[in-house]
Amino acid sequence: MNEFALGFSVAALMKGVAITLVVTVGSSLVAIFLGLIVGLIRISPRWPLRWLAVIYIEFFRGTSLLVQLYLWFFVLPIFGIILSPWTVAILGVGMNVSGYGAELVRAAIQAVDRGQYEASIALNFPRIAMLRRIVLPQAIRSMLPAWGNLLIDLLKGTSLIFFITITELTTASKLAADATGNYLLFFAVALFGYYFIARALITPFVRWLERRFSRGFVREVLV
Amino acid sequence: MNDQTVRLERITKNYGTVDMPDNLNLDVAAKEKATSEPMVRFENVAKRYGTLTVLDKLNLDIARNEKVSIIGPSGSGKTTVLRMLMTLERINEGVIWVDGEPLTHMQKNGQMVTASDRHLRRVRGKIGMVFQHFNLFPHMTALQNCMEAPVSVLGLSKQEAEARAAELLDMVGLGDKKSHFPIQLSGGQKQRVAIARALAMRPKVMLFDEVTSALDPELVGEVLNVIRKLGAEHNLTMLMVTHQMGFAKEFSDRVCFFYGGKIAEQGPPDQLFSDPQNERTRQFLSAVLEAG
Repeated sequence: MNEFALGFSVAALMKGVAITLVVTVGSSLVAIFLGLIVGLIRISPRWPLRWLAVIYIEFFRGTSLLVQLYLWFFVLPIFGIILSPWTVAILGVGMNVSGYGAELVRAAIQAVDRGQYEASIALNFPRIAMLRRIVLPQAIRSMLPAWGNLLIDLLKGTSLIFFITITELTTASKLAADATGNYLLFFAVALFGYYFIARALITPFVRWLERRFSRGFVREVLV
Repeated sequence: MNDQTVRLERITKNYGTVDMPDNLNLDVAAKEKATSEPMVRFENVAKRYGTLTVLDKLNLDIARNEKVSIIGPSGSGKTTVLRMLMTLERINEGVIWVDGEPLTHMQKNGQMVTASDRHLRRVRGKIGMVFQHFNLFPHMTALQNCMEAPVSVLGLSKQEAEARAAELLDMVGLGDKKSHFPIQLSGGQKQRVAIARALAMRPKVMLFDEVTSALDPELVGEVLNVIRKLGAEHNLTMLMVTHQMGFAKEFSDRVCFFYGGKIAEQGPPDQLFSDPQNERTRQFLSAVLEAG
């Protein structure tokens, strides 16, 4: 094996890992933020708002992620809007996933026990305070496992940003494999790389949130 | 004394006592106008679900400080009365008045129109409710459960709300459970927290919706004792749906028997329980006392 090619490939691969990490974290934040907002609008008492949320969800969930990325990257410039590949990657992947996330948020909010809403009305909570203080803390707890799945899926989806010129982990592995001829090694590295990011980053983060939001739901030892 | 009364006497037994401090500050609201105007008035109220009429032309006045028990078979509409008053159900006809002003409606340009959210929230603040299934907030401790609404609804400071909540938890005998989560409490303790939580909003009217029905029999007494204490020491108007006939007899000023969406019979408990005039009431009471 050509040592120069190998050294060069490993350096490129590390950069690919870093890029995948940055895009994953960035678009996860976008997905969580927009998913919460759109999910809340989806259950608004005002129907025009609800409709807007439905349209948003239908578009981002119902069409292909790759086509959406192409749309932002190649079609928007036709209308004079030019976005950097990074912006498209983070916002594009994030918005796509937020369409799924919004439905998780809606389902979790609607699954909160009716008695909780009735108690909130009896205590005269305004709607916003009821959502923020009573409903959301319980809904977030129950939606977290599904969010864990979604974010792991997002991580794997980031390989599509290759098509908008970004050399992320999958692309870097492919280039390294092509350059060195060692396909077994570099695709094994890529496979393990994704698994490692999911297992070392996303799962512990979601577990930590689950623990934080589980106070009172699990019988703790009395002190 | 006829047979029924004898059986009732037996049911009205002494429940153990719970240690509770005195001198609570609950009566601020009640000290004002002691007018003859009813605290709650249902005026020709009807409630329907599709074609099913749950309540039909209900007229019911509840005086200030009066304790009224509502009894009746399931499906008779008794819980719906409380839920309408708490604005958990919309009414289809009529007007509900609370403390001299309409709850379900408001005056606009000299006409009665359906209440706005703002109006609803203002009048609803005079009412508190305790539920059959407690509905405590599971992610908050007993103390936080009682503090949350005073802070986010009434705008009390954390310190004020905590003092108020602590005082009320002491009153219901749970001073040592303040930092417990609902899951760590027994049914009776949960229901007492729920009572404290409702009282923390300083309501003038308290609604109790089958508050002992989900409890183990030996825990019923501790909850009823708290209600007894409230009734004896504070000027609260109380409306309760109950299956505890003994308690209804001993505690209420008036008992209403609901049947088929109407008040079939009402009167002072002594009269209604010992000498019911309505055939339905007789049947219901004998069935309940048979089982009890």
